[in-house]
Formats: sequence, C-alpha cells, structure tokens
Amino acid sequence: MSRPGPGKVVERSVVPYDWAWLKRGMASAFTLPGLVMTFSFMGFGALLHSEGVSLVAGIAQDAVIWALPGQVVLVDAIARGVPLFLAALAVTLTAVRLLPMVVLVLARARMPGNPRWPEYLAAHFIAATVWVMSEMHFGKIPRPGRLPWLIGLGSMLVTGMMIATSAGYALTGMMPLPLAATLVFFTPAFFLLALVDGARLDQDRIAIVLGAVIGPVVHAFWPSVDLLVAGLVGGTLAFLAGRHLRHPREPENGA
Amino acid sequence: MTSASPVWLYVVVAGALVTYAWRLAGVLLVSRIDPQGAGLTWVRAVATALVAALVARMLFTPSGLLAHTALPARLGAIAIGAITWRLAGRRIEPGIAAAVVTFLILQQIFP
Repeated sequence: MSRPGPGKVVERSVVPYDWAWLKRGMASAFTLPGLVMTFSFMGFGALLHSEGVSLVAGIAQDAVIWALPGQVVLVDAIARGVPLFLAALAVTLTAVRLLPMVVLVLARARMPGNPRWPEYLAAHFIAATVWVMSEMHFGKIPRPGRLPWLIGLGSMLVTGMMIATSAGYALTGMMPLPLAATLVFFTPAFFLLALVDGARLDQDRIAIVLGAVIGPVVHAFWPSVDLLVAGLVGGTLAFLAGRHLRHPREPENGA
Repeated sequence: MTSASPVWLYVVVAGALVTYAWRLAGVLLVSRIDPQGAGLTWVRAVATALVAALVARMLFTPSGLLAHTALPARLGAIAIGAITWRLAGRRIEPGIAAAVVTFLILQQIFP
C-alpha cells in the first residue's frame, strides 16, 4: 500500500486506517447505549435548569468535557460559586478514571506506524459508555476500522447529547418525578448489565463484586476518592486473584 | 449565581483542560505498554472495578433525582433486570427494559 519514496528502500508497509468505518461508527450511536445516554444527558439538562446554570454553558461542557460525572460536579461548583482552583481539583478527581479506559480502548484500536492525531482525537470521546460499546463492537470490526469507528461514534454521540441536554433543560418541571427518576435509572441498569455481560475472565467477575462492595464503604468515609480507591484496590485484588485462579492449570496464552 | 470567575473560564480550565489531561496521559501511555502484557489486564480490572463502584454509588447513595427514590425500589429493579438478562439468554435489552419497568412500578409501592 505505501508508496516507496524515490530511491528509498521500502521498510515495512504500514496498514492505514480504514475511514469507511467512520459512517458505521456514526450509525452505532443510534443503538441502546445511545438511548440510555440520551436519558442521562436529559437529566443533565434538567440539572442545569434547577441549578440556574445557563444552557449554553451546559452544551459547551458536552462538547469540550464529555464526561458526565465531571460535568455534574462542575455545574454544582459554578452554581455554588466554588473558587476556580477547587472546582478544577474536584473535576480532575472524577476524570482520572478516563485514563485506564483510554488505554484499554486505544490498545485494541490503534495502528502503530500511522500518524497519532486520530488517537488524540478519539481519546476525547472515550468515557465509560464508549468503552463499554467498544467492548461490544470491536470483535466485529477489523482493526484498521476501529479508530475511525470510534471517532464517528463519538462525534455523533456528542452532537446527539447536546440536543438531549437542551431537551432536558426545556422539559424540566413538565415531567412527574417518578418518570424523571426512571430516565436517570437507565444509566446504572445499563452499566451493570453491560459489565456483567462483558465479563469474560474470572478477574472481571471478581472486579465487579469488589468494586461494588469497596465503593460504597469508601464513599461513607472519603467520598471524593471513592471510585479511585475502589478501582485501584478492587481491581488489583481481582487481577491477583484472576492470576492465581488461572495459574494452577496449564499456562495458556492469549487474552 | 455568584462565581468569582466567568463561567466560560470554569468550563475551559476547571472542565475541559483537567479532563483531557487524563485522556492525553492515556494516549501517551498506550504506545509504551505491551498490548498482550499483564499490565493491560490489570488496567482492565481497575476500570471494571471502578465502573462497578460507580453503579453501586448510584444504587446505594445516589445524588440528584434518584436520591428522591426508595432504596428497595432501586435494588429490586436491578435484581429483576439481572434475572431477566439471564433468563433472556444473556441479552442486555430485555434486562434493561425489565429493570426500568420494575423501577417505575416499585416507585408506586415504595414512595
């Protein structure tokens, strides 16, 4: 595929990204996870309204932050007039969780040898939902198509969620509480079933249980770092337990 | 709204920059990590436990709208959803539908 430069030895042909998958990624936004996300972001729109933060500021957050827990923390900080530095600290604590997700998704999507700008772009779109969706779809996407698929999916989701935020903002107060709460309930239901459904290794199942137990315990004492502690402690224990369970049997290769 | 700095400064500095920093760290890290190695398996365990903790927080100590609902309604709905997922041949869609409908009903029973 690669054109040899004049008088240059062809080293190794780098397989380029297959951008035909960009459109398919956009289409993947219109599936169940996209619907669940829509309800969450309608809830975010409702939050903006009730906290007295402008819709424009909320839509801008969808575009440039793209991580709902951080956005909720930021809206709260703006509404209460928390100093900029403290707001930044609170938001960045919620964003640490994005690092492992970006590593996991890109490790299965990037094509070494290509320019890296698509990775920097795709990383902006990666959060919990897109990680879960990539686990669901990557098996059916040839590797050169994965990063374009992510970028198509992410750009369509961001656009859709800006609309959902606006709709939620406009609908606030018109919906009875049980119905509005049910929209929000889609999110834990989706994440839990997606995690359980995607658990392939012993390690995954142990990590789910440990995270769900350690999280609330830490939350009671030190709420700002509960997710980090649960992730690091629960994940590490699950990783060690998973190795221990696998090792006594024949050492097999592969993920 | 009484914030010392303009709102756009919050969105850009306290929102976008401090969030993308961690994603950038992920991009820089992934090219140095062995895609087949134990390091990535550990990262997967950490991310899984973290999202599980996020779900547990939303179920046990929620904020916002869910805070106005009863714990038995939230837990009962999730349990029915998980059972349905299993009975429906491990398909997510029926599981979520069952969880959400159950939640709507249980909110009437546990106001």
